[in-house]
Amino acid sequence: MKKHHYNPDSCTSCTACVVHCPVTQAVREFRGPKLAGPAGERFRLLDEEYEAALEYCSNCKNCDISCPSRVPISTLNMKARANYYKTHKQPLRDWLLSHGEQMAKMAGLTPGLANMGMHNLLSKTVLKGIGISDQMPLPAYAAASFTKQFRKIKQKPQADKVVFYPGCFVNYNQPQVGLDVVAVLQLSGFQVIVPEDTVCCGSPLVVNGYMEEAEANARKNMTILQQYAKQGLPIITACTSCGLMLKQEYQELFDIEDQQLVAGRVYDISEFLLELYDQGRLNTNFAKQAGRYMYHAPCHLRVQGIGTPGLELIRMLPGIEVVAADAGCCGISGNYGFKADKYEIAMNIGSNLFETIKASGVTTALSDCGTCRLQIAHGAGVKTAHPISLVRAAYERK
Amino acid sequence: MRTSDVIVIGGGLAGLTAAITAAGRGKKVTLMTAGAGTLAIGGGTIDILGYLSGGTPVANPRTGLASLPPEHPYTKAGMETITAAVDFFLTLCQQEGFAYQGSLNEMQWLPTAIGTLKPSCLVPLTMDTAAVQTASQVVVAGFTRLKDYYPELVIKGLSKLPGYQKQYEKLEIDPGFRGGRDVSTVDIARWLDTIQGQQACREQLSKQLKPGSVVIIPPVLGVRPGYAVKDTLEKMLNCTFVETVIMPTSVTGLRLRAMLLERAKKLGVSIMEQAHAIGVKQDGNGVAAVVTGNIDRERTYHTKAVILATGGFFGGGLVAEHDSVSETVCNLPVTAPADKEDWGTLRLFTGTAQPFAKIGINVDASLRPVDAQGRILLDNVYIAGRNLAGYDYCLEKSGNGVALVSGYKAGMSV
Repeated sequence: MKKHHYNPDSCTSCTACVVHCPVTQAVREFRGPKLAGPAGERFRLLDEEYEAALEYCSNCKNCDISCPSRVPISTLNMKARANYYKTHKQPLRDWLLSHGEQMAKMAGLTPGLANMGMHNLLSKTVLKGIGISDQMPLPAYAAASFTKQFRKIKQKPQADKVVFYPGCFVNYNQPQVGLDVVAVLQLSGFQVIVPEDTVCCGSPLVVNGYMEEAEANARKNMTILQQYAKQGLPIITACTSCGLMLKQEYQELFDIEDQQLVAGRVYDISEFLLELYDQGRLNTNFAKQAGRYMYHAPCHLRVQGIGTPGLELIRMLPGIEVVAADAGCCGISGNYGFKADKYEIAMNIGSNLFETIKASGVTTALSDCGTCRLQIAHGAGVKTAHPISLVRAAYERK
Repeated sequence: MRTSDVIVIGGGLAGLTAAITAAGRGKKVTLMTAGAGTLAIGGGTIDILGYLSGGTPVANPRTGLASLPPEHPYTKAGMETITAAVDFFLTLCQQEGFAYQGSLNEMQWLPTAIGTLKPSCLVPLTMDTAAVQTASQVVVAGFTRLKDYYPELVIKGLSKLPGYQKQYEKLEIDPGFRGGRDVSTVDIARWLDTIQGQQACREQLSKQLKPGSVVIIPPVLGVRPGYAVKDTLEKMLNCTFVETVIMPTSVTGLRLRAMLLERAKKLGVSIMEQAHAIGVKQDGNGVAAVVTGNIDRERTYHTKAVILATGGFFGGGLVAEHDSVSETVCNLPVTAPADKEDWGTLRLFTGTAQPFAKIGINVDASLRPVDAQGRILLDNVYIAGRNLAGYDYCLEKSGNGVALVSGYKAGMSV
């Protein structure tokens, strides 16, 4: 298997990345992915302080999607950012937004209080004071985490096992998505294993330059997931950014033994179900539902090279009308849109998508990514759902 | 099991045309792309044929096509297919609200940013030079801080050419970009897509332009496939704009790609971005599946046919190593001079075709790959675009033309 190569000289300066970069379109100060990434690598050899306004890159991966030469442009940017912060002070804001898992664990003791605490005027003022937007609502914590609720599920024992890696957002903010994943897998004859000691995939750490911590998380996750991969078990995610980390970014960023083995077993939930369908193993006992939806493909899914399995799956459900929004990046890019100085940029980037959704007249938009769903709800004022929730509903109506 | 009627590999002009043609015939099409390709940043005009080998300009595309050698992709496709492909494209553009104009019976000589004329055939309405031809006075407008576009250079070059000896006047429009990165035509086109940009442009130009002026500008009249920006500004200012050919990044290619992608999606083409095709699974004399190899693992996609539009050397479809040349997906034989020394000629800029430019895959009249004896190698694989052997698009100015014709033919054949 040919990995991404790191030779920035593979860049032919064709500028396809600059043309397709949503941040470049929104901000004149950003010098664009070509200068920040592959060209920047050359400048940084001469001058470590070379500044390409790297802080603007959101790691959305549209540069990678458009690059004809397979240069991992966004990853070059992330490595350079981590390097930059080795010698420069980093705001507390970045630490807070990168360590959602720690925050969630603290909040998990008293989620109700934590939610009240986050959404009152005083704490909004404090958060704004340290650079977190007071306009983009922070996601609420669930009363009980996914792992907590999963322990109580009495699964039907099955010979075929799969591993589910929930990731922080599903675990602490939207556990229902995880419960839907488990229910759907059970209905196709799989028993679900959820390893409790996995940690945050590291995506929010990478994007804010905390590369050493991200690597520590990666090593911890790999140690746990390797055992399952060696048994040949599929590892399922229901978050496209977690999936991208496990499949691709760990390999681009770190050198961990057997990471290729794990990457080769990681599936997006919809990708996995479609493979079951190909093998004639998917339970397609779907009831007819009524509903019009618009589907948004997350950038972190588009870059995986597997098409849009969530959309394909929804199109198999009888009675559902679904249209692909095909309106570009939503702008949130993980925690980018939560930053006070990036909020306007994120909203500007997402404006085309918001207008497209509003114009469609749908009341619910579908997307496989948790933070995309938050941004769509905020920007387009509609309800949102993960495609898997509609699949589960189709079974339950029987 | 999910099975496509056809998997098209490559999202450039050849691949998109093939996908749209096949999907329009009711086929279930999967389009695998790897990067945005040259279409997004290229010129977006359909150059059919400008020069024959030796650099002789053709009187018009139709007569030029008749004098091409038998191994040329156009000759293999035949005049009937070429005519049908051109009609197909013009109709498609019309239906999508982004009409192109031109025909096989006349050359369109387009002014460039360096003051030369480039031969083309089918061009967007923003590049219709009729107004320039008849005007006695022409304004050449540039933009503050725009790189690689200097009105002085355009005027200096054009005024030496027959038919272009006119009174020229230059002016500069300031889009108001301060600081930040270099200014590109894409930046300006996005600015002119906004009402504020259009009004600022009107305020600056209305003082300087006489009613009825003909204005040559770089391609900046909006990034979307359509003529709303052109129509609005021309109405506001009572003038005619003519966009020039520029070096990449040219907004004209971006518009064409957006239009083709929209059409493909409307027809239900399933598009897989960043799907790197690395091989096929054969079944007898045909291909049963395409294998992609991304960083995580290989995946297999079943299909009844394949259209290979992977873009030659530049697109990554053909790879030349020190001592070999190969095709990367189906491992088809590539026709090339045995001795590397014979790949190039030192007679640069003399209108001589470079042998390496003609390297590609040999096909029969149906665009299926053949061996040296002319036997079909794979029954259900069709080659389109830059992978084809026997033409030098750079010298001939035939790149998008061959892509359109071969993409159309492949899409009709599956």
